[in-house]
Amino acid sequence: MQRDKFFRDIENVTHPNEKLVKTHCSYCGMQCGMNLRVNTSSNKIIGVEPRYDWPVTVGKMCPKGVTAYQQTNHPDRILRPLIRDDASLKGTKEGFREASWEEAYQLIAKKFGELQSEYGKDSLSVFSGVSMTNEKCYLTGKFARVALGTRYIDYNGRFCMSSAAGGFLRSFGVDRGSTLPWTDIHETDCLFIAGSNTAECHPTSMFRVWNVQERGGYIIVVDPRETPLARRADVHLDLKPGTDLALANGILHLLIENGYADESFVNDHTNGFEETKEVVKEFTPEYTSILTGVSPEKIMKAAEIYGKAPNAIVMFARGIEQQHKGVDNVSAYTNMALVTGKIGRPKAGVATFTGQGNGQGGREHGQKSDLLPGYRKITNPEHVKAVSKVWGINPEEMPKPGVSAYEMFELMEQKTIRGLYLLCSNPAVSAPNLNFVRKAMKNLDFMVCGDFYLSESAEFADVILPSVTWSEDEGTVTNIEGRIIKINQAQEPIGESKPDWLMQVELAEHLGKGKYFSHLKTARDVADEFRLATKGGNADYYGATWDKIDQQDGVFWPCKDEQDKGTPHMFLDQKFYHPDGKAKICALPYRPPAEEPCEKYPLRLTTGRVVYHYLSGNQTRRIQFLNDMCPEPYVEVHPETAHEYDLEHDEKIVLYTRRGKAVYKVKVTEAIRTDTVFVPYHFGHDESINLLTIAALDPISRMPEFKACAAQMQKLPSKKVL
Amino acid sequence: MKKRLYIELENCIGCRSCLAACTQCGGHEQRNRNYVYDVNPHVNRQTMPLMCLHCENPACARSCPAQAIQIHESGAVLSALVEKCIGCQNCTIACPYGIPKFDEEQNLMYKCDLCIDRTKDGIPPMCASVCPSNTLQWLTEGEIEKKQEQHNLDNGKWVTSMPYLEGATNVKVNLPGILQGTEKLF
Repeated sequence: MQRDKFFRDIENVTHPNEKLVKTHCSYCGMQCGMNLRVNTSSNKIIGVEPRYDWPVTVGKMCPKGVTAYQQTNHPDRILRPLIRDDASLKGTKEGFREASWEEAYQLIAKKFGELQSEYGKDSLSVFSGVSMTNEKCYLTGKFARVALGTRYIDYNGRFCMSSAAGGFLRSFGVDRGSTLPWTDIHETDCLFIAGSNTAECHPTSMFRVWNVQERGGYIIVVDPRETPLARRADVHLDLKPGTDLALANGILHLLIENGYADESFVNDHTNGFEETKEVVKEFTPEYTSILTGVSPEKIMKAAEIYGKAPNAIVMFARGIEQQHKGVDNVSAYTNMALVTGKIGRPKAGVATFTGQGNGQGGREHGQKSDLLPGYRKITNPEHVKAVSKVWGINPEEMPKPGVSAYEMFELMEQKTIRGLYLLCSNPAVSAPNLNFVRKAMKNLDFMVCGDFYLSESAEFADVILPSVTWSEDEGTVTNIEGRIIKINQAQEPIGESKPDWLMQVELAEHLGKGKYFSHLKTARDVADEFRLATKGGNADYYGATWDKIDQQDGVFWPCKDEQDKGTPHMFLDQKFYHPDGKAKICALPYRPPAEEPCEKYPLRLTTGRVVYHYLSGNQTRRIQFLNDMCPEPYVEVHPETAHEYDLEHDEKIVLYTRRGKAVYKVKVTEAIRTDTVFVPYHFGHDESINLLTIAALDPISRMPEFKACAAQMQKLPSKKVL
Repeated sequence: MKKRLYIELENCIGCRSCLAACTQCGGHEQRNRNYVYDVNPHVNRQTMPLMCLHCENPACARSCPAQAIQIHESGAVLSALVEKCIGCQNCTIACPYGIPKFDEEQNLMYKCDLCIDRTKDGIPPMCASVCPSNTLQWLTEGEIEKKQEQHNLDNGKWVTSMPYLEGATNVKVNLPGILQGTEKLF
């Protein structure tokens, strides 16, 4: 494996009575390499030591990574199954009693059986997440379709990655989040980063990002906020939230107009150029400026730098994806690379920052309502046949496609779905329009939740199954680059907690489907079946054995067989995955955000992350260091706007949208636009900003528009002092 | 090979990994001994790390009436010796950078010891090990000299403070603005 200039040849520190277990962080898609320090007499994880030999992050970690080990032996861990007999207490932390695994399994089998015999197979649903291993993601898809026989399975990637997937599929015919390894990033000449607060969301990318500038290269950033990345960028395109499509079209127009298009690449390897050229024609710098609020000069400067760069990488994240036109945004920015031919070679390409630990692998292996392992489609009879063979079922038994994550809650509200098995996700914080989602969860006849802490969503459950943390199990994860890596077990599960895959095998036996699951005795058994199930699919993992992953510092998919070393760079042969081998340049007319500011709701609300918390905060809010650094949400308001509303720093306001309201402390900062406010989304209950966000869904990816809606702000009247 | 901590201020993204990592070093008892400051919190939240500069002639040690602050042969200015520290807090007042802090419960000063249990064996201190933005680097003398050459421009426009400000410390710092002299690739 290549060792780049950042590689550090340093021996790790070991202390007496300690061993180091090589693994990766439990949080975002960077999956930074780390060693867990394990006390050899107690066999407990006691700390962390950087892993200098991991080529992607060479020992670097963000504050979440440094403290991640503290979640395993945390006092809040659920150690035994919990059952709640009094359904009236749903939606609270109250009423749970400890139970044996057997009692929990029997209750679940009985309730699931009753619901299905009364209301049909599809009365049950599975909602999962992608912070878990490929093996668990794969087995969850199989569990839903084989053990439960329901069509309703979907996952929290709909709130995270699905627009990137949709955009890449449309443009390239395949969805691998990065067309090149991360070790290329610092060697390029221009980074065009749209809708990514990289410094806070993927901090361990930053040493490579800064290096581009140190070498004299350029950084162009598209963001409504002046993030740590934006404030040092060569050009900061500070657009209004939700107007990315106009900006991307505007830049594409200039690239074509000013002669930066690579005509031979466009002719030989793409379709759709002429139509696209027509569509973007009207997006002159002046018109684009009116739509986006970015000055024409900045737009022209950005197009010139990207156009001139010998090599450039277009990168993006949730900022452009969490919109009701997220897929169009992804394709629109991808157009820049295709039109200029800056793709299909090292140091040039397109990449999305994966938010969740296994955001890549988790979307490939059948947790999505319409997909089967290896990116096969559940609507394609050939694909169904291939997977049915591995699973040992008749193709006719394969359930039909279901609906997307948010739409499952709509069906719960309507009582079409009556039972839910939730694992590795916390939609009671992370779904949009939470007042509705919480009501839908409360409306369920029976809900099972697998988690290692009592999350806000677990409060709605009838049965909670105690899962393990990442460090108590093993398996593979596919990181931000498309590199399949290995998570190793550092500690035995504490209490009676179990890995989710084992729960599913045992539960399947209680549901009378043991013959499809009982051969899976270890995580490695699941891995072997899973690799086989992906064989021949677009996301082919068959050749990525655990041994090869160890030997090669990870394996990039596709990896088809034993001899195949994997595919770090995509499209080196200039062949894309559409049937004619050509990529698609997409003609995309502009659409404004689903909700535009008006007299009653004059502000634009956007949401995002802070460096100290991960997703719904269920894990990180419990870690003392992280909680001390960011204990509560806040609303970022520009000083001019604060003045207009007569607000002081740290004063409390009520924020309203058409869907709800919440109270936040004001953080006055020039880092935000005057017409926009920002709130981080990691907080639960009354503090959750998703009480206010809109569930306008992208027509292709079904991703909600977390990043833009219309809001109103009111000063909280101070209480009279008596 | 002897290495030194080098701080490239402009890279700081305010993630405070260095603080989290500091708590993980052996003997630091889960307490960080370095700090990150908001330079202009209401403007753009620019931050800067503040680490002990391990002065060659440290005011903290000079002001200590009990000789509780030892200087390691590598140049690291160590935390107060438990058996000698009398809790007078002279060091916390003397240090121009506000590094030594006082533990009321133990009646004891504590400060950055440059992870002496790591750096004595050539392993980077925890803060520089994890720093995701390369603000904190662990470099050889030669590498630092190269940085200095690169940043002391001969164009009359701009020059770093090096070696003037940090002449008497074991930690090297660049002042913001180093990229002003970077020649663009195209």
